[in-house]
Amino acid sequence: MRNFLTLLVKEEKAVFSSPIAYAIVAVYLLLMGFTFTLMLFLNRTAELVRIFFQAAVLLLLIVPVVTMRLLAEERRSGTLELLLTSPVREIEIVLAKFVASLTLVLLMLVLTASDAIVLGIYADPDWGPIYSGFLGLLLLAAALAAIGLLVSGLTSNQIVAAVVAMGVGILLWMIDSIGYLLPDPFDTIVTSLSLVAHFTPFATGALFLSDLGFFLTVVLACLLLTVRTLARR
Amino acid sequence: MTTAVIAAEQLTKWYGPRLAVDQVSLAVGPGEIMGLLGPNGSGKTTILRILAGYLRPSAGTACIAGLDVVDDSLAARRRVGYVPEDAPLYGGMGVREFLLFMGRLKGLAAGALTATVSAAVHRLGLEHVHGIQIAKLSRGYRQRVAIAQALLGDPALLILDEPTNGLDPRQIIEMRELIRSLGGERTILVTSHILGEIERVADRVAILLDGRLLGVHALRGSSGGQRLRLHVRGHEEGVRACLARVPGVTAIDVERASAMPLATYVVDAEQPVAEALAAALIASGFGLLAMEPAPVDLESLFLRLTGDREEAAR
Repeated sequence: MRNFLTLLVKEEKAVFSSPIAYAIVAVYLLLMGFTFTLMLFLNRTAELVRIFFQAAVLLLLIVPVVTMRLLAEERRSGTLELLLTSPVREIEIVLAKFVASLTLVLLMLVLTASDAIVLGIYADPDWGPIYSGFLGLLLLAAALAAIGLLVSGLTSNQIVAAVVAMGVGILLWMIDSIGYLLPDPFDTIVTSLSLVAHFTPFATGALFLSDLGFFLTVVLACLLLTVRTLARR
Repeated sequence: MTTAVIAAEQLTKWYGPRLAVDQVSLAVGPGEIMGLLGPNGSGKTTILRILAGYLRPSAGTACIAGLDVVDDSLAARRRVGYVPEDAPLYGGMGVREFLLFMGRLKGLAAGALTATVSAAVHRLGLEHVHGIQIAKLSRGYRQRVAIAQALLGDPALLILDEPTNGLDPRQIIEMRELIRSLGGERTILVTSHILGEIERVADRVAILLDGRLLGVHALRGSSGGQRLRLHVRGHEEGVRACLARVPGVTAIDVERASAMPLATYVVDAEQPVAEALAAALIASGFGLLAMEPAPVDLESLFLRLTGDREEAAR
């Protein structure tokens, strides 16, 4: 636990001392604020469903940029050798990096909560879908961060890590579209891998344990694979 | 019996189809400075990485202070201070911040952490730079910071991979002095592809070529042995027999013989034998003209061993 906390503090410092983090947060908030204002004045409805979908698409693009340096940079600079020859478990390294990257995303989501607060002040929204929507965004971000961390562990090039993780995320987001072309049972299998299929219920206020289980499975599988990647040397 | 700090048995490492280390066995005792010498690609760094716990051996075993580097990996890593080649460090951190971070990872108790880091800063002469960002340091200072982190936690074994690489002549001399000063307190395993570097710092040298260990040779008498050069007047066979009778003598080589009954002998012994050799020669009626310590000519040794191997390959 002590090692995890030591590594987490180091990772948090690395994330928040980088100008990339502030650029990402600023661009995200600008785009989200723009859409929220537009939606509010055009639709005049007290709900955030469209905002959640826009946030989800932005996360597909942003999270890989946050995670790209996590292991790729350590590998490139040789500090991974320093870490892995210290008396530290691989799982502690992986968890610290995962939590640190998720902290930045959590900060963005907390700042986006200002949209909900505005709705609460000027209208009487249905809070259920708003809570579930934010939970869905957090789960989606966790899954994307875990995928990004795994890809970052496979290369020493940050750009390659970002592009591949982005590609995997976008493919998983829209993979259900190809289900229409596939025979049974492949269509079901492909659809069940879709990020958008599991995110939509959260964004619209319908909570299913299967969707929660899907995101947690993706996170756990990617983190375990990252640990295996580090341990296999 | 003293436990070897490094005990490697039949260590083997494959990278895919390429054999990087081929059945290397090595034992290094407490306080010894062992040099690993070999050309680039001879397997030096791979052996260090296995001992440091970074790589797993494909076959064979390696123990650090009795702890297996695979089965007791965490405990073994606690006993090793490792400085990889080119001293990779977190450039964004300050020197003291980095040492505190590494100290915490090495399990130093909160109370002892500050004192231990301050001691390492003092030992490595980093007082003037301890608040500076690592990225702004010269290569020599970066190397010192890397060694300072390796010393945290008082490891039994210090592993240095090409520690003089990229340093200027003054920094190289300082690094040599530092390594020599750290020897004795702990076991040091140091690699280089430069003969002179190993010759100057190591007590013994292990010579590697194409992943195979060609031999291990003493460079100085720190491990209790002695190597002496004697100029003796007398018939060679008689002198040899006389020297061989002295307890502790392990090898006798004739370095230079001449038509006259005068020759130079190099005697290897596993203990100090100078007095005993002189007494034996004089008692047998041989003329002892001179006796002096005989450092190993590492260059000839390296060429002979690598040449033998190439000869055998043909």
